[in-house]
Amino acid sequence: MSGDKNKVMLEIKDLKAEIEGKKILNGINLVVKPGEVHAIMGPNGAGKSTLSSVLAGRADYVVTGGEVSFNGKDLLEMSPEDRAREGVFLAFQYPVEIPGVSTTNFLKTAINEKRKYLGQEPMEATAFLKFMREKMELMEMDKALTSRSLNEGFSGGEKKRNEVFQMAMLEPKLTIMDETDSGLDIDALRLVSAGVNKLKDGERSFVVITHYQRLLDYIVPDFVHVLYKGRIVKSGDASLAKELEVKGYDWIKTEVEQEANA
Amino acid sequence: MLLETIKKDFVQYKAQAEQGEFLTLREQAFAEFEKLGFPTTKHEEWKYTNLKSITDKTFQSTCEIKSLVNELFNASIESKLTANFLVFVNGSLVNELSKIIEQDNNIVISSIAAARKNNQTIFNQHFGKYAKVEGEAMNALNTALLSDGAFVFVPKGKTVTHPVVIFNISDASDLNVLAQPRNLIVAEESSSVTLVETYYAVGANASFTNVVTETYAGKNAHVEHYKIQQQGGESYQNNFTQIFQEADTNINHVTLTLDGTMVRNNLHFYMNGEHCNSLLYGLYVTDNKDFVDNHTRVDHAKPNCFSDEKYKGILKDQSTAVFNGKIMVHLDAQKTNAYQRNQNILLSDDATVNTKPQLEIFADDVKCTHGATIGELDEEPMFYLRSRGIPENVARKLLLNAFADDIAEKIKIPELVELLENLIDEKL
Repeated sequence: MSGDKNKVMLEIKDLKAEIEGKKILNGINLVVKPGEVHAIMGPNGAGKSTLSSVLAGRADYVVTGGEVSFNGKDLLEMSPEDRAREGVFLAFQYPVEIPGVSTTNFLKTAINEKRKYLGQEPMEATAFLKFMREKMELMEMDKALTSRSLNEGFSGGEKKRNEVFQMAMLEPKLTIMDETDSGLDIDALRLVSAGVNKLKDGERSFVVITHYQRLLDYIVPDFVHVLYKGRIVKSGDASLAKELEVKGYDWIKTEVEQEANA
Repeated sequence: MLLETIKKDFVQYKAQAEQGEFLTLREQAFAEFEKLGFPTTKHEEWKYTNLKSITDKTFQSTCEIKSLVNELFNASIESKLTANFLVFVNGSLVNELSKIIEQDNNIVISSIAAARKNNQTIFNQHFGKYAKVEGEAMNALNTALLSDGAFVFVPKGKTVTHPVVIFNISDASDLNVLAQPRNLIVAEESSSVTLVETYYAVGANASFTNVVTETYAGKNAHVEHYKIQQQGGESYQNNFTQIFQEADTNINHVTLTLDGTMVRNNLHFYMNGEHCNSLLYGLYVTDNKDFVDNHTRVDHAKPNCFSDEKYKGILKDQSTAVFNGKIMVHLDAQKTNAYQRNQNILLSDDATVNTKPQLEIFADDVKCTHGATIGELDEEPMFYLRSRGIPENVARKLLLNAFADDIAEKIKIPELVELLENLIDEKL
């Protein structure tokens, strides 16, 4: 943690959201400062993926209360593309296969759209290719993957690595990783985590959403939050994740029920 | 009314025609046409395709050429190719624009008119043998009153090194024009040829093109056939192609329909031997009130053949598309593999698609699949692209281009694919 201690990057206040009339988020509060890594853990159905979807702007979710500011701007007012161009990146749990759109063309379009948004000149073709080559080396990406259609026929591990590669290319301020570890074997997990760690620069922040502690052995969080029934019910440091690994989620559930009854 | 003009045309034609086998053939065809009349929507195969807007008009057959035609040819993407060119305006060959660069004298690339004189044996052996006239009014009409067209003969074992571009222009500058081109392609055993059949229209009046193409593929022959339809203005086209395949043949047929008021394509394959491959791909991008109808038929008459069919459509405004894909697996066509898909994206609430897969299977050991989809662009890929900072309109274009390019890329002439993809991009 070397970012400005007084600056807030992401502030979520009492966020409530539902899908198809079903309440999923029941008042989330979270503050992320530059350079911080936050882990959000929780049992299945706690609302983890809903939180990442709402932050990225997925249309199926309806925000029914609360606010989210990103570097002082109202995030919830923005279209998904504007959120991205302001510096929010969502690493998908299930990256979509898009036949016929090459990774190269896709990234060039994304980068130049972002530059346009920020009032910058588009990147020249040669400069872009050089930049991409550098990031590919950094992320240890196989060249063949970028010449193929986006995620088409990629294995689970390749898709997740491609997400991290895209992150390296788009250089976001805040990355939300939605269960990036799901379905990864240990080698892929190591590669994905190494990629993420290389992108840490003291300014960039990460919200790592995961069910298991395993990923946090590699991407070490500054804060760990437990999400249950759409609220953050417990926060702590990295040791909380270890505790959850040993004890599971049941004790937290019990604690919450007891509080509710009291 | 079109019918009267046609009758007059035929009387006129007969008065000056030479007596002989060819005239007899045409008289028989005309009799068949008179018997059948123009197809109406009561006819099952023409249920959605109403020819009334054609048959209510008068069209003239004419071979007058305007300078516009040169400009149009030179501006076209096809003219950029290193290729053999046969250019027809309103169904008549234009010598000044036609150019044959093939060196091998055994390969014949000429007009039908020339072939009737110079390649009589081959011509008579194949002409009218595949596209049947019985029950097919539009074929009968074409056979009776065909103007001219392309003749390609590739002898045994020969390869045509450059594509053959059959370039058709309807020039409707002065009046409503009718053209009835007729093409005959004969690819003998183990030969290979690439055809680019292309259609344009100019002028403020209406044009009607009624074209028939017959392709014979001898054993182990390989035919690439690309059809590019972009007739502008008020243009109507009925396009019938019959491909007859002997054993071990490979046919790759791609149809791109990018413009035209009303286009009806009938693409028929007949597999007359084992181990044939028939690939048929199509893309239609429609706007305004345009209408495109693709009727395909694949006859698996022999065992161990493979067919793969994929037609895709992008529809805008109040346009309409029809897809009818018939696959006939005959009684002894065991071990047939036949795949068919029709996918449509509707970009407007007022666009319409009628799609009908038709599988008729009489053999018991076959693999056949078909599927049809009609819808909007998928939300998931759209969200994915937008979540990377790509605005909605740019993301939509990326996805539509990818959807369309999938078909354009079935064409194996890279420089043509690139030009076509630009064209599709503009159209979208």
